[in-house]
Amino acid sequence: MRIRHSFLLLFSVAMVFLSQNIVAWGAPITFNTALPVAKDEFLIREQFILGQSGKDHTAAERDVSVQSVVSVLAYGINSDLALFAALPYVNKTLKLTMNGTRLTRSTSGIGDMTFFGRYTIYKNNFKGGNFRIAPFAGIKMPTGNSRNRDEFGQLPAGLQPGSGSWDPLGGIVMTYQTLSLQIDTQISYKANMAANGFEAGDVSRLDSSLQYRLWPKSLSGGVPGFLYGVLEMNLIHQGKSKINAVKDLNSGGTRLFLVPGIQYVTRRWIAEVSVQLPIIQNLNGTGLENDYIARTGFRFNF
Amino acid sequence: MKIIPKTALIFILMLFSTMAASAEPLTYALKVDGLACPFCTFGIEKQLGKIDGVDKLTTDLDSGVVLMTMKDGILLDKTKAEKAVEQAGFTLRGLEQVKTPASNVIEK
Repeated sequence: MRIRHSFLLLFSVAMVFLSQNIVAWGAPITFNTALPVAKDEFLIREQFILGQSGKDHTAAERDVSVQSVVSVLAYGINSDLALFAALPYVNKTLKLTMNGTRLTRSTSGIGDMTFFGRYTIYKNNFKGGNFRIAPFAGIKMPTGNSRNRDEFGQLPAGLQPGSGSWDPLGGIVMTYQTLSLQIDTQISYKANMAANGFEAGDVSRLDSSLQYRLWPKSLSGGVPGFLYGVLEMNLIHQGKSKINAVKDLNSGGTRLFLVPGIQYVTRRWIAEVSVQLPIIQNLNGTGLENDYIARTGFRFNF
Repeated sequence: MKIIPKTALIFILMLFSTMAASAEPLTYALKVDGLACPFCTFGIEKQLGKIDGVDKLTTDLDSGVVLMTMKDGILLDKTKAEKAVEQAGFTLRGLEQVKTPASNVIEK
């Protein structure tokens, strides 16, 4: 029973990694934007994410690390309607102490694909800037394996590459952009469904991003590359998970991340790096806190 | 030696002059609202580049102007330009023909 309890403790932290908004596209690094995808234009984004949680004060001394590579493809049906698909490849490792023995459980594989559409309902283009509002809706599909096993048996749900469930998601994103800065704000909700006797808590998010042009200081013709300083904020609340329809009291909670980053933007590509630093972690029970989530990536349009 | 009548000579010179003028590539300045970052310029240049007869495109982010040079003797249809800019997600505020050829150009 103790081993089962320890693995249940894992759920809370692992689900936070799973709930990260991996379908980020556009100007912000950790979430989406309302900026347009031109008609018949494609965008590809690759993002490398490293999440670490290791400051466990319980006897289990849990340590969770998640590495993922997320590939995102976007396509503009027209200038108002864009479709997005995101597919992660994940590698998850859990280390914990049980009965004085240090155990390691890990898995890797293709995760769950997220597909969604975004439609611009309001836009105001003005000289040197614009303002847009765009709701979006989609679904996370169970493309990842949710029944992986190791020498100890079937891996807990939080450690699986996929959730096994179809999870609808939706939200609205607003973008204000000028030549000097860009501000994005997004509100989103993901309803996690049950699969294999496990149901992760639903995830509500409020994200904001400020990108400020650091270089060039002034514009002098043409289309120069822009170096942006980026500061983002992610407020994430996750409800309690359910195991066989029973609420897990050691899961869910609220986290606030501050995300400094840097981004270089050209006509054809963007390169970026950021780190999500937890400022507030108000977690239920013995939920394991995040240490950091580092991201780097690039995007191309064609 | 037969001398060409003066009126015929003038006519021929005028004809060549007209032909030369009409063959000169025309450049248009498109004032675009909403353009505010380098990544967005790709979309608008891609849409404008699909218009028949476009030879070169040059974007100036600071002024929000796209200079569009047409192939010899081809005129730009304003309706097509408006549609292309709209399909990129932006708004064509104005369009005017300019004499200065585009510099720092992007070959299409």
